[in-house]
Amino acid sequence: MKWSEEVRDGAIVASPKGKIDESTALGFGTDLEGAVASAAEASIKLVVDCAGIDYMSSRGLRALTLAKRKADGAGVKIILAAPNQIVREILAISRYDKLFGVTETVDAALAA
Amino acid sequence: MLVRFWGTRGSLAVAQAAGSIRSKIARALVAAKGRHFADEADAAAFVEDELDFATGGTYGGATTCIEIEATAGDGSFIVCDFGTGSREFGISAFARMAAGHARVFNVFMSHLHWDHIGGFPFFGPAFDPGSTIVIHSGHADVEQAFRRQQDEISFPVAFDWLRAKIEFRVLAAGETYRIGGLDVEVMEQQHSHKSYGYRFTDSAGKVAVFSTDSEHKIESMEGEADVANFFREADLVICDTMYSLADAVSMKEDWGHSSNIVAIDICHEARAKRLALFHHEPIYSDDDIQRMHQESIRYEELTRRDDSLEVLCAYDGLEVRL
Repeated sequence: MKWSEEVRDGAIVASPKGKIDESTALGFGTDLEGAVASAAEASIKLVVDCAGIDYMSSRGLRALTLAKRKADGAGVKIILAAPNQIVREILAISRYDKLFGVTETVDAALAA
Repeated sequence: MLVRFWGTRGSLAVAQAAGSIRSKIARALVAAKGRHFADEADAAAFVEDELDFATGGTYGGATTCIEIEATAGDGSFIVCDFGTGSREFGISAFARMAAGHARVFNVFMSHLHWDHIGGFPFFGPAFDPGSTIVIHSGHADVEQAFRRQQDEISFPVAFDWLRAKIEFRVLAAGETYRIGGLDVEVMEQQHSHKSYGYRFTDSAGKVAVFSTDSEHKIESMEGEADVANFFREADLVICDTMYSLADAVSMKEDWGHSSNIVAIDICHEARAKRLALFHHEPIYSDDDIQRMHQESIRYEELTRRDDSLEVLCAYDGLEVRL
């Protein structure tokens, strides 16, 4: 899993790439919580561009939950953007699409 | 090894109401499209072959009770939990004992909540003076739980009036015991007042794992390696899959249960061969459980590694031969 992030249009856009499972979820969670802290400091939202994520197991989903708890406590909104078909299905099966806002594109997340 | 499910529902026994049966019949008639059936067997073949399970059958509503027939065991009955499914099991056991089966029961308790002990007062062999029932548990207070539910305030037959020889044996987590001709490994699990999982290995090397009422806490995911080790290369893992992951980490966190997708992930990590989705949410209809099963199969496909994991959905009456 590779991680990059940038500030764009008043949000942090984080772009993890690769698979997120038990071998990579720890690093994914650490990066995610770091991005939440940066977003909190700047008082802006966090958009996770999911386009580069091949698939995400329950470990990755639960890392999202841990990050969301910190984000909620700091008043930061997390939006999941542009998941591929596999990740979209996983979000639906896990019902995580009820816990997180999910948009078709990064632009849509930035505008939300 | 044969694993037979007598009760698969979680938390509370449920039953189909008239409206549910009407809906199944109506759906079946629509699916038949006016077809003529020569006799009941012909119609039964249509139900079996052409209707989905939620229409042609039901997952049932009895609470946890599982029977394991071991290859080259010692002839005793091997049972997990005394949920309401144990009433039907007791009736079946009487028939088999009449045909010569040993009147000995080795019962392994996941824990002592009502849905896992509530069938015991209706378990016929407990009233049989020729039967011996050995109740194994990780809980030191196991006997208290069984006696308490038969106090007069709750039940008309006191525990001491039961005619079977009943023994309680406390097992230690992390240990492996030789019981009933099986190796039985014990694992402590996360649940209110704790629960225990059991890994059964018969003399043919077949392995069934019983792991219900076990929450995999979001704050301690690294501990799942121990669970994966307990499930390692099992032929069948019977796993608590009561909630969606979203429910398990939000509204229903700390309720002591797991999700279908965490179970699949751990089974993948363990390289287990089969998973039985188990301890179904009592508010789920048959359609809901069937949908959860289909979604679980799809999730397994999406996250599969080298080996595929067969995802079964347990129902009252299911038999799985390993």
